Amino acid sequence: MLKTLIRRELLDNLMTFRFAAVLLITLLLVVANTVVLVQDYEQRLKSYNDAVKMHQQDLRNSKTYSTSFLFADRAPNPLSIFNVGLDKRLGNLIGIYHGFMPTLWDAQMHGTNNPFIAFFSSIDIVFVFEVILSLMGLIFAYDAIAGERERGTLRLVLAQPIGRGQILLAKYISAMVCLLVPLILSLLFALLLLTRSIPLSTADFLRIVGIVLTSFAYLSVFYLIGLLISVATRRTGTALMLAMFIWGFLILVYPNLIRATVNPGGDIQARVKTAHNQIQQILDAYKREHQKFLETEGIAGESSEFSKALGLYHQADVNPVTLMTYIENMSVISEIRPEFEKYVSVAKRYYNFVEPLVTRTTEKAWRIRKQALDEIYVKQATTDRVLLKLSPVGIYDAATQAWAGTDLSGLRDFFDAARRYRKIKIDYLHAKDAFASREWFVADKGPVDWRTLPTFTFQRSDVGTNAKRALPDLFLLLICNLVLFMAIVLIFIKSEV
Amino acid sequence: MWYIAKRELYDNLNSLRFALATVLLLGLMLTNAVVHLQEQPASVQKYLTAVTDARNALEARVDSLYELAQKGPGKLYKKPSALHFCAEGGDPFLSGAVESNHYFWENGDLKSFWQMRYPAATSNLTNIRPDVTKIDWAFVIGYVLSLIALLFTFDSVAGERESGTLRLMLANSVPRHAVLVGKFLGALMSVSIPFALAVLVNLLVFSTSSAVHLSIDAWGRLGIIFLVAILYTCLFLALGLLVSSRVQRSAVSLVMLLLTWVTLVVFMPSVLALIASGFSSPMSKDELRIRQKQINDKHLEEYRRVFGGPNSAALQAGSKYVTQEAAEQERLIEERLDEQIAQVQRARSITRISPTAVVQHLLESFAGTGFERHIQFLENAQRYAIEYRKFVVDTDRGDPASLHLMGVRKGMSEKPVRPESIPVFEDTLSLSKDFNTAAMDLLLLTLFVVVLLAGAYLAFVRVEV
Repeated sequence: MLKTLIRRELLDNLMTFRFAAVLLITLLLVVANTVVLVQDYEQRLKSYNDAVKMHQQDLRNSKTYSTSFLFADRAPNPLSIFNVGLDKRLGNLIGIYHGFMPTLWDAQMHGTNNPFIAFFSSIDIVFVFEVILSLMGLIFAYDAIAGERERGTLRLVLAQPIGRGQILLAKYISAMVCLLVPLILSLLFALLLLTRSIPLSTADFLRIVGIVLTSFAYLSVFYLIGLLISVATRRTGTALMLAMFIWGFLILVYPNLIRATVNPGGDIQARVKTAHNQIQQILDAYKREHQKFLETEGIAGESSEFSKALGLYHQADVNPVTLMTYIENMSVISEIRPEFEKYVSVAKRYYNFVEPLVTRTTEKAWRIRKQALDEIYVKQATTDRVLLKLSPVGIYDAATQAWAGTDLSGLRDFFDAARRYRKIKIDYLHAKDAFASREWFVADKGPVDWRTLPTFTFQRSDVGTNAKRALPDLFLLLICNLVLFMAIVLIFIKSEV
Repeated sequence: MWYIAKRELYDNLNSLRFALATVLLLGLMLTNAVVHLQEQPASVQKYLTAVTDARNALEARVDSLYELAQKGPGKLYKKPSALHFCAEGGDPFLSGAVESNHYFWENGDLKSFWQMRYPAATSNLTNIRPDVTKIDWAFVIGYVLSLIALLFTFDSVAGERESGTLRLMLANSVPRHAVLVGKFLGALMSVSIPFALAVLVNLLVFSTSSAVHLSIDAWGRLGIIFLVAILYTCLFLALGLLVSSRVQRSAVSLVMLLLTWVTLVVFMPSVLALIASGFSSPMSKDELRIRQKQINDKHLEEYRRVFGGPNSAALQAGSKYVTQEAAEQERLIEERLDEQIAQVQRARSITRISPTAVVQHLLESFAGTGFERHIQFLENAQRYAIEYRKFVVDTDRGDPASLHLMGVRKGMSEKPVRPESIPVFEDTLSLSKDFNTAAMDLLLLTLFVVVLLAGAYLAFVRVEV
């Protein structure tokens, strides 16, 4: 009996105008967007490759250890085509330097040909689904029960020996099968376009499967919302109006409303100030130790002959706005005149003492800075995201970002990798005894040796990690489904025909 | 006709959709007002402090004309618009200042002169909050009002046909066009009432607060924006009537309208813009760097040829090196900027196929925000740069002791400069200029409305009952 019902519903749905229209629009939008997105991805990939090449070139030409700039570059994520998330934000270029610990705010951006283009909001595939799939679900559901009740066919069906739950189940299954057609078809088209120019790994395909599953759960939530409205109202007209306004509210209004009304709370200035003072203390301690060393060595300071001879440049400061800590004492001297040669051994001792001190100070200051910035900015963003999850769109967006690896955790992985690479660089310098070497500050021996230093590579987190980050949200969607379905069954069982 | 319009209006006033629309619009406009009241004073304050700081930094250099000529006027800031709540216009993606960056190279006594630089907005680097559009009037009008307009008209013909009342109405001696116009006016009134209410509440909140002050000019602009919103509503009402009279069932009409709406309003503006901007590619950052180096090398070469010569010749050559290099570098940067702007302009003109984009442009130009406004700001800054350079040259000419050699310290006047004689940068907004950029958009919007109304009329006249 269930089978007959499902078949009837399927035929009913497939043969309608709305099905054809929805299919056409989804295909059109997804294909058009994929073309644009692939183009954009390729452009970003090119500027990434150019940057990597340039940085390697610069490193090969660098003459002293202290002025060799290493960079960590982040390649664009091919899955940003599905959900761009933060992939185009937060920067993709970090300088690796022992006197600098990067936080989320310190990355720079690879050059773009036209920064104004960011002005046009880009639309990714998940956004198309967010808008279209939800609309589709509601359009398919609003008259499912109310319509049959109006036409009187509900009475006929219920006269048969089948449970009310079975009717709902049949409607649900057949509608979902119909709704899956545009989803799967458009994804297939998108993948066809994608794989022609972007090679995807097996892991990427698994992530895409995750995105499809999440899309399915999202679609189902909206179908069930529509069904709930349909069960609860007597007339299709009312059901339709309610459905449309709920759609407008959940998709258009609510996410923007949250962003507009929730403002950074708390006293940011005070928080920044305390952190600034703490960092300043650390820097003062550093300066004292620095001074003590100079005194014990008998070097009076930066105006001494020694400093002038070796171009000693020293600065330690903290920016009161960004809390960024500057400790700079790099130097490059193209050649040393014979009369200053006597200072070289002092300078070697100086750098050997001061650079590890810089490293330690930077790490100490970073801990305070990270905590403060997390409290000021990350907490805010997290609150936003939690509030957004009151609408299914927010949950869907968060889950697909997690699958694609373009969420905050995914980007944090990159910053973690950059910090690890900084550690590798420092270890390398220690192993080479570079701080105490002449090549630290004198450039007369030709390019310094960076050959055995491993190059920076950033691997996106594996599928397991992506899944772990996405599953809570996916479960949330499934729970939404379950609750909605139960509510529908309860109302439908008690309703009069 | 009036009778029909009145009937439609009364019908709608009692309906669920009218109540929902009113609540939705009121809520959105109230949010908009509250948020604006919080943000506007802070942003004005920030602008004023920045301008004062920049001016103080400039006046601190009055002791030496050379310093003024070498370092330039400092940062120039874009004045925030009082009508920012009408259209945010992508302002976070447009930088709020141009810089006269002065330090590129140093060669003995010679230092490079300032050039105008156009930095990209950096908000993208630090923003980790979820990405959503701001609730401004442009959003309320462009998205919400248009959707409401469709929801009020999708069943106005098809629904009456289904329930059979259309037949009854046409059986009376009412001409068809009167029915259509009556329906149109009725729907227009029922959409305008909640919108006007919401706008009034929004403006009421502003007028109670002392923090935000709207000038006469701003009120005039608001009036125009309201009229544009009504025109835009007419467009979607006409679209609704057109589809509703062509289609047999109201459910089909709704599906068609919703899908059209999603395409026109949500997707078309950005998708078209991104496709169109793919056709051309401005000078890349690498190419810029290479060409900058070429220019510098060329002038350095010329300078080196006379470097060892007599003192006065070297001074002259140095002056030439510094000034010509700076001028050429600036031309290069401006060339790149023009290419970038042209790319965006092209993309924007193609998005005009979508009426939502047209209305967005209109609101931006009347609110004094967005891309056109940014271009105005850049033009203002460029004009000021010319004025500033002229001021430096004139001041130098006024000193008989000077050698009149720009670009080298020894060749320029050493007298201190009166601080008040340095020209002040004024970022102005003019309504007449805005009107020029908006005129085409306004015509286009009217054209859309006329075409759709005519279409609706034709469809309704031929409709079978």
